[in-house]
Amino acid sequence: MSEAAGPWGAAVQSATPARGLRIPYVDMIWRVRGEVPVDQTLTPEEAFARLDPLLRTPGTTLGVEGNALVYAKHNPAAQDQMATFTRGRLWIERAGAGAVLRFDLFSHALLLCFLAPLLFLGFAQLAVTINAYEAAAAKAEGASQKDKKKDEDKPKPVKKLNPIDEFLGAPAPEDPNKKKDKKDEDEGRHSPEPGYFLAGLFALLYLLGRWLEPWLARRRFRAALAEPVVPATS
Amino acid sequence: MAGVQVGKRIIGATAPVTVGWENIPKVEGGPIKQFVFTYFQPAMLFAAILFWYYAPNWLAVASTAIAIRLGWTVLLLALEWVNPRHKSWQLTWKEGISDAFYVGLGMTFIGMADAYIGDGAIIGAVQGAFDWKKFDWFTGLPLLLQALLISMIFDFGQYWMHRAMHNWHPLWLTHAPHHYITQLNVQKGAVGNPVELFLIGLGIGGLFDFLPRAFLLAGAIGMTVGVYQHINVRFNVPRWWRFLFNTTEHHSVHHSRDYEGTRSNYSGTWIIWDRMFGTCVDGEAELLGMEEGRRMHIGETMVYPFREGWRDSKAWLAKKFGARAAAPQAQLEPAE
Repeated sequence: MSEAAGPWGAAVQSATPARGLRIPYVDMIWRVRGEVPVDQTLTPEEAFARLDPLLRTPGTTLGVEGNALVYAKHNPAAQDQMATFTRGRLWIERAGAGAVLRFDLFSHALLLCFLAPLLFLGFAQLAVTINAYEAAAAKAEGASQKDKKKDEDKPKPVKKLNPIDEFLGAPAPEDPNKKKDKKDEDEGRHSPEPGYFLAGLFALLYLLGRWLEPWLARRRFRAALAEPVVPATS
Repeated sequence: MAGVQVGKRIIGATAPVTVGWENIPKVEGGPIKQFVFTYFQPAMLFAAILFWYYAPNWLAVASTAIAIRLGWTVLLLALEWVNPRHKSWQLTWKEGISDAFYVGLGMTFIGMADAYIGDGAIIGAVQGAFDWKKFDWFTGLPLLLQALLISMIFDFGQYWMHRAMHNWHPLWLTHAPHHYITQLNVQKGAVGNPVELFLIGLGIGGLFDFLPRAFLLAGAIGMTVGVYQHINVRFNVPRWWRFLFNTTEHHSVHHSRDYEGTRSNYSGTWIIWDRMFGTCVDGEAELLGMEEGRRMHIGETMVYPFREGWRDSKAWLAKKFGARAAAPQAQLEPAE
């Protein structure tokens, strides 16, 4: 990252980017900001050199904006350690006697995961709508339904188990003519329940990710900063 | 890369594939870990069979199967965490939500569409067209035999559908996105274009009006055998198991970056279909995917067959009618 490290030689000012929406706290859905301490014996160039292996991965472009290092990822690999955060800005600030690495990260994945429950609620609503439409259409065909009911009134054959299964004690199949009452209350062809379940699941996964991913990013930054750069040989 | 000759083919010439069971690493760790990861698969298969065989009627219903499936998935994810086959396949939060999205799509949108254009509609039409009483002999067979037949017949259909997908370009376009996965995890079977998921779900097994219990038993075999094809867990797979059944080892060869490797191990549950038709390769691979492991994101997965189909059709028409020379060349793998 030598080409990126130049501008941090001097004292660093606060460099908070002011892009995107201005509604307070809304951007916390997809944006993660924080800081990790930097060993005060390290120069900014050395600190960024240590972060280099973490950031310089396939599909990632690195650049310099003012005092900050910026990166952007295009469809990163599954095992890219920063894959969740598709864009980011990192800079070093003095804090008391020492220094801190500040980061401001943007995540498509967090945003899409936050929105996913809406999609699945939409599918649930679609199921309810189709059921209602089909029920109405079936009502309109009242006459033909009556014929069907006549068919249904015919006794269905009771299936029997093979003697081997009877001997081994498998429960016998139920008489299909007995349990009609419940099913007649037609719930429709599609169930909205999977949609509701998935909406809840994605809401939970979002909360998990919003906590876990910033924690991992912080841990990775800290680990990378603690790792001395091995000079490339040969 | 030299590769290894398997039958008439050279496997592993273009990307690393380990061929032969003797070359596959064993489970590492203490005696308890060794025991668990040796007997887990058969124990779970027999437990599932016993459960569905003896469960009372009120319990032997589809909603129980769904609940078990959910708990089972969580257990398998925990196993991936405890004993991963490859560190490079470890599930991350982002991969996890991406997989969950495809599973969710299957449970909602694709499920709804299937009722009209998929197996739901086909089964309804065919069942209405025949006198299925003639098949009463089938439902009179012992339950386990019915379940085995359902499972094998369904898998036989899947084998040929899958093989066709690798051999006929229009079908391949629907299946290709699934081959862009770069690691195997429990839910990766759901990753792919909805058209493919719809096609692979078509099976003749559903046509028989069998006893529900036999169907649930067949589902249990699928759940405790077929599920392992996309799992990142190191097992000491028993010899008889890997002879009969598809395993994550087999399926990793199918997903390898080696072209000949991908043209093997097509079955979902019963690897004996591959043995029978000469497409089985016993081995494993770690390096998976297409185009040097380019990951395909959800958006591209959704449009890929249509985009590539459009490009290829234009190229084909241009070639056929010799029109505009500017027409783009057919691209099987987009060079991005």
